[in-house]
Amino acid sequence: MEVLIAQIFNGLSLGSIYVLLVTGFNLLLLVAMIIHFSFPVVVVFSMYVSWAVMTATGMVPLGILAGILSAIAVNVVTAPMFQHIMKKRGSVDINATMVISMGMGMIITDILSHTFNQGFPIAFPDALTGNDKGALISTRLISISRGQVLTLIIGVIFVLFLFWLLYKTRAGRAFRAIAEDPNGAKLVGIPLLKTGLQSYALTGILGGVTAVLMAVLLGSASAGLGDQLGHKVLAVSIIAGLGNLKGGLIIGLLLGVLEAVIQGYLAGSWSNAIAFIIMLIVILAKPKGVFGSSL
Amino acid sequence: MAQNDPILKIKNLSVAYGQVKALTDISIEVLKGEIVVLVGANGAGKTSIMETVLGANVPVSGTIEFKGKSIGGVPVDKNVRNGMYLVPEGRGVFSSMTVMDNLLLGAHHNLKNADSKLELVFDSFPVLGNRKSQVAGTLSGGERQMLAIGRALMSSPEMILVDEPSIGLAPIIVNDIFEILVNLNKEGYSILLSEQNVYKALKIAHRGYILETGKMTKHGTADELLNDPAVREAYLGA
Repeated sequence: MEVLIAQIFNGLSLGSIYVLLVTGFNLLLLVAMIIHFSFPVVVVFSMYVSWAVMTATGMVPLGILAGILSAIAVNVVTAPMFQHIMKKRGSVDINATMVISMGMGMIITDILSHTFNQGFPIAFPDALTGNDKGALISTRLISISRGQVLTLIIGVIFVLFLFWLLYKTRAGRAFRAIAEDPNGAKLVGIPLLKTGLQSYALTGILGGVTAVLMAVLLGSASAGLGDQLGHKVLAVSIIAGLGNLKGGLIIGLLLGVLEAVIQGYLAGSWSNAIAFIIMLIVILAKPKGVFGSSL
Repeated sequence: MAQNDPILKIKNLSVAYGQVKALTDISIEVLKGEIVVLVGANGAGKTSIMETVLGANVPVSGTIEFKGKSIGGVPVDKNVRNGMYLVPEGRGVFSSMTVMDNLLLGAHHNLKNADSKLELVFDSFPVLGNRKSQVAGTLSGGERQMLAIGRALMSSPEMILVDEPSIGLAPIIVNDIFEILVNLNKEGYSILLSEQNVYKALKIAHRGYILETGKMTKHGTADELLNDPAVREAYLGA
């Protein structure tokens, strides 16, 4: 029982990372109308930037700031590329955006594996992860780290913030209007390009915060991490129902818990394969996603 | 601006979608405080005129003035801020969003006054007040049309463009909607209306323009058009 509770807790921390990534992916899909499955690669890139600044300066807060800023920068700088092919809003050319996203992912992954730390995985300083202080709770069987608690708390707060923003604010209303009917939104005076750009900036902040949380939770990163997460985020989004924000929230958390429980009771290294087999079964039973697509 | 000044002045407007000509040499005026109706069959160009005035289409040639200023090439959001709002064909309400959210979308550029505007809208359309937290997808056709009109009012417009409000509504509901438009006009809103229901539209309008395949064939006061033999034969079945 103790192990199960600990693994569920583990899973929720990991799941809140998935939720943040899926929500960013869905926002870009709904509002900016791009399939940006390399969004998690951008997040991992920010982890690397954060690490580089922390290692060079020895200052953790500066590294955190750099990570968040770099995610915003990458998103906003690449926005014109996506927007160029999206100029004719309404007639969505989602396929072309996939190619751009794929290319971005490959380029960033290559940069990460050639230039940072000579291609070796990076490890974040204890000052960030808090690993030197030992576990927060530890018994004979389990231990829960400060990083896990922090990730879960900040993850939950940030997800609540995102949903508040989407459902209770002016910008969120505009996002949802565009998501439902871009042309209709345009006709009632919602500026599409400007609102799209806001969604890039928002997902940039989201990506940056996620990067820092991942650094705290995982304590390390490698160049291949982004691709791996990219696959999972795409799978979670499709299983929940493409563009379904609430669905992504639930399935993201479930995937985290599922993986953690598999790791707790079965061979940990098989957790990806088992999770994907279960997702495969779900998608065969529910081709449009468990909660239905919002596109 | 004095009464009888044009709030909207369209001159020699031509619009094309690629190679397809949608509008040829259209000239229309809406005076302040008027209801002006554009009548014509499907494909006559009514929606094209509305959307071009609004800024969603770029004209090939011609000029459009709103409140005395040229608005050629001005984007929709700017025109909305400037006092014009569309009640789109098919209502254009966002069915996954609540009634309240739909109304607040209308006040997107003017949120400061949203509360007082909401009160006015709920006074005029109590049904919207009763259903404000329901999603718009659960509303009936007539209620959606009211929502689309209420949303327009939220933007504090001076001119409302109403595109084919009667489509898909029961005749008795159409009467309600037209009565709403007349009342709005009495409150001072200028209205450019497009309609296939020629008789009912001319009955509430001050003046009208007749469109056929993108060209203007006739215009005059509503009474003149109602009594014109050619119009009667083509549109009124008499």
